[in-house]
Amino acid sequence: MTQPPAATDVDRLVDDRPADGWFSVHRDAFRDPAVFELEMRHIFEATWNFVGLDSQVPDNNDYLTTTIGRAPVVVMRDAEGKLGCFLNSCRHKGAIVFPAASGNGANHTCPYHGWTYDTGGKCIAITSQRQGCYPEAFNALEHNLAKVARFDSYRGLLFASLSADVPPLEDYLGDARRAIDLVVDQGAEGIELVPGAVSFTYNANWKFQLENSSDTYHFIPTHTSYIGVLDKRRSVREAASKTPAPAGSIYEDIGAQAASRRGCFTFPHGHVLMWGDNPTMHARPLYPMLPELEKRVGRTKAKWMMYVRNLTLFPNVQIAENASMQLRIIRPLAVDRTEMLAYCVAPKGEPAEARVKRLRQYEDFFNPTGFATPDDTCAYEACQRGDEARVLDWQQGYARGLTTAKAGGNAEAEELGIRPDRSNVGAYLMGDETGFHGNYRAWLKLLKRGVGRE
Amino acid sequence: MKLELAEAVALLNLEAMLLDEQDWDGWLALYEEDAEFWMPAWKSATEPTSDPMKELSMIYYAGRSGLEDRVQRIRSGKSVASTPLRRTAHMVGNVMLAPGDSAHPEIATVKSSFNVHVYDTRTKTQHVFFGRTTHGLVRRGTGTGAGLGIRAKKVILANDCIPTMLDIYCV
Repeated sequence: MTQPPAATDVDRLVDDRPADGWFSVHRDAFRDPAVFELEMRHIFEATWNFVGLDSQVPDNNDYLTTTIGRAPVVVMRDAEGKLGCFLNSCRHKGAIVFPAASGNGANHTCPYHGWTYDTGGKCIAITSQRQGCYPEAFNALEHNLAKVARFDSYRGLLFASLSADVPPLEDYLGDARRAIDLVVDQGAEGIELVPGAVSFTYNANWKFQLENSSDTYHFIPTHTSYIGVLDKRRSVREAASKTPAPAGSIYEDIGAQAASRRGCFTFPHGHVLMWGDNPTMHARPLYPMLPELEKRVGRTKAKWMMYVRNLTLFPNVQIAENASMQLRIIRPLAVDRTEMLAYCVAPKGEPAEARVKRLRQYEDFFNPTGFATPDDTCAYEACQRGDEARVLDWQQGYARGLTTAKAGGNAEAEELGIRPDRSNVGAYLMGDETGFHGNYRAWLKLLKRGVGRE
Repeated sequence: MKLELAEAVALLNLEAMLLDEQDWDGWLALYEEDAEFWMPAWKSATEPTSDPMKELSMIYYAGRSGLEDRVQRIRSGKSVASTPLRRTAHMVGNVMLAPGDSAHPEIATVKSSFNVHVYDTRTKTQHVFFGRTTHGLVRRGTGTGAGLGIRAKKVILANDCIPTMLDIYCV
């Protein structure tokens, strides 16, 4: 009888043979709780994670809470305006000190025994400390909220790491920073999260979401019913009006989209940009700003802002700009359970009519209460249930585009002034799957590093 | 508009039954063509969004056509989230007549609470969505026995972390 593989044998999870033109991921990566445990320790809790936008904490003493892997953290601006990131865990017994998603206040008291912290994380009061008969060993301890090992930002996006053994954030993001620029520079004053956050869970592995963002292949089969609704809306609108009314979605003319190109860039450290030139860009709320954008950021950058662009910053955040613009944070809860927190992103100071259009497009497509995301998440759940067929080992979902993908950049990379690890470009219907390879190469590298140290 | 509590209760019960019986045409027929359907998102633990033109909603339709779109998707057989359809049981309670908008005397305001039990036959899992609803009702035609139509429905979903999906028939 064969022995089950050791949980720490992570090499067996990815079959990466560039010389043979082959790549696949083992289904245990999606279904084995031991792998999930390794992911928590050696990926999420060992590298940079997105923790928020600085515009979410604009004022002194503002805070927001989130998680890095399993660890609850708080990002806050102290009384002087300096940003910090701390474990949201009272030093006494571990209670959450900041219970809300966000808020403001100079001092924060643990609800259990009343230890109090300022927004610099300093413990400013231990209840009845003098009467506490504490030994010297206690007094010698530091009682402040524990700082995360690394905390930095790029263009207002805040990142933190629980491990100090990470490259500088600039190097970690690398040329994926140019893709962040294409988001942030859409507003002369930058971007903002539209008020109102939506969270949802699905009962499947987090990597289905990770992949789906770069997955052009699924769009038409999975979202047929959404495309059908858009078709109907268009015909109703055209019947009602002799003059052409503005399009409601870039996907309204799915034929034009399907006749366009899609490509991807993968970057070191697992980031991926899936892109597509966008023949129906006039449906974008940003489109009326195009002349102004061309003046402010240049023609090339403005053109790329109009493109479909789904950016994954490994491991936990995606900024998707297609039907609308969404920032979504992936929070794995278990090997077969994931929580998503999603926001509508917009340029600051956007005209009112563009904002309304953006909101309606967002709600239609991205909400778990809308027309598209529920079909994605239900498909992930179908995968998770089907992956319980343990006699099957390898996915067949990483092979599309393998004959055209190449090392380094291409003409589009040159346009953007980036040097990706690998790039691919082709017809929409190629449904490239090589973008995922970049995710898994970084994934495996971190797992191997972690396991090697255990 | 003058409205008896019993009429309001009957209409809300009817809407619940039509959704549970998946009588989509019957359900849509309750809505006026210009009916607004609005389920705000939440800005914080205590505050839902209040302006659908400036803030995010979970669902916002300015007219019945948005609801017709939802029904089209449900019936399409092409939405994995809708095939097979989840089974539901709507429980509507605490129905009360509320002061309306003096600018729109033709609309009567009715408040209620809901539990909607949702069962997914694929996974044999169930969930309860709950919250509060405000209906704006109008009289169709004149005289006694004239029917009621829904001019506005606002749903405040209390448990807003959505387990996988929420469709129009889940609230």
